[in-house]
Amino acid sequence: MNDKKTTHFGFKEVPVDEKAERVAEVFHSVAAKYDVMNDLMSGGIHRLWKRFTIEASGVRAGHKVLDIAGGTGDLSYQFAKLVGASGQVILADINASMLGVGRDRLTDRGIAGNINFAQCDAQFLPFPDNTFDCITIAFGLRNVTDKDMALRSMQRVLKPGGRLLVLEFSKPQSEILSKIYDTYSFKVLPFMGKLVTNDAESYRYLAESIRMHPDQQTLKEMMDKAGFVRTEFHNMTGGIVALHKGIKP
Amino acid sequence: MANTLTIAALASAEKMLNAALRYDPATRIGLARLEGKIIALQITTPGITVFIMPMDDELRLMGNWDGDVDTRITGSLLALAQLSQTEIHNLKDSGVTVLGDLSLLADMQKLVKNLDIDWEEMLSQFTGDIIGHHTAQLLRAKFGWAKDRAKNAQRLTSEFLTEELKTLPGKPELEDFYRQVDDLRLAVDRAAARVEKIIREKSNP
Repeated sequence: MNDKKTTHFGFKEVPVDEKAERVAEVFHSVAAKYDVMNDLMSGGIHRLWKRFTIEASGVRAGHKVLDIAGGTGDLSYQFAKLVGASGQVILADINASMLGVGRDRLTDRGIAGNINFAQCDAQFLPFPDNTFDCITIAFGLRNVTDKDMALRSMQRVLKPGGRLLVLEFSKPQSEILSKIYDTYSFKVLPFMGKLVTNDAESYRYLAESIRMHPDQQTLKEMMDKAGFVRTEFHNMTGGIVALHKGIKP
Repeated sequence: MANTLTIAALASAEKMLNAALRYDPATRIGLARLEGKIIALQITTPGITVFIMPMDDELRLMGNWDGDVDTRITGSLLALAQLSQTEIHNLKDSGVTVLGDLSLLADMQKLVKNLDIDWEEMLSQFTGDIIGHHTAQLLRAKFGWAKDRAKNAQRLTSEFLTEELKTLPGKPELEDFYRQVDDLRLAVDRAAARVEKIIREKSNP
């Protein structure tokens, strides 16, 4: 009998210790064209979702910010400008290819001095307790093997009073929107993936992983369980994306 | 609740504003000095709040801000537009209320008033130096003319309303009225003090 613990990888069940490797393969494959695909898939709206995340962060000059699953550095770029020379931003990603693309892109845009890069797993953040004023994880939590463990790890490294912002795909609030969104995700998205990155499978995984991700209320409860207080979420674009916020007491 | 359209509109406005600011180095230097400050511009009609954050040498416009605010300015769109263009030494009767750091407002007002876009530099990026120079001269003339007309229109309208139509009192009449109100207030204060004194004397003979 096979009693090995499993977790979901899109709609498939895979052994827990294999998920990270499989997710890594997906992102190695899409890293180079990740930004182009994001713009194409969302019609550029992902920039507005990220913009709202920055507005909700309350980050000011001198703050320390950790951008987990920061990928190609969209949020880190804005944070680096907000925290100024006296602050610090750490762009963290588990995937070396994504981190490489992000680092090159930020350097090309003149961001240096107040930014550091770390290849690390959100479940085991290699930072001391009470380090950051703000932590963001944008479109990353659904790829983490053990989300509860990752949330606890983030809670540990946040300063008391610091805030966690989770930007993630969620559950559309209207049935009609949900149906359109399903067709788009499972028919159009893999096709676009095939055209742009010659990799339909990776984009099929992205669509499936979105469906397997906890809905708004469940994620809020998970954040409560991890020790965050004043947790709340804001739906954007009809609930296709939600921004969850929690404070470390 | 986040309104995607508002965020999009502000993002476009911010892009245009910063593109224009690229051609006004003096204002950019001024902005850098205000880096990290947050100004909330609360427009009552229509009801919109915009958070302005000077950042390095550009401006950031936000529809939401989940943090502290240094200065909050509240007023109608018209009152706020007037405030940005005219020399106002106090906010009484301006229809604008300010909470927080007043010096930040004064600095911003100065920057907006002295905004001087280098049209020539901006245009020559696209058209080359010669066409850029001529078009910029034309633009400068039009821009200056529009500014003059706006100033004159304001003066002429106020003269027409006070002198011709007599619907509004003139400045001397208003000042006389304020003086009378002041005199009356002082007289009432004196009377109140006397009444109090009499009551005190009656109760403690």
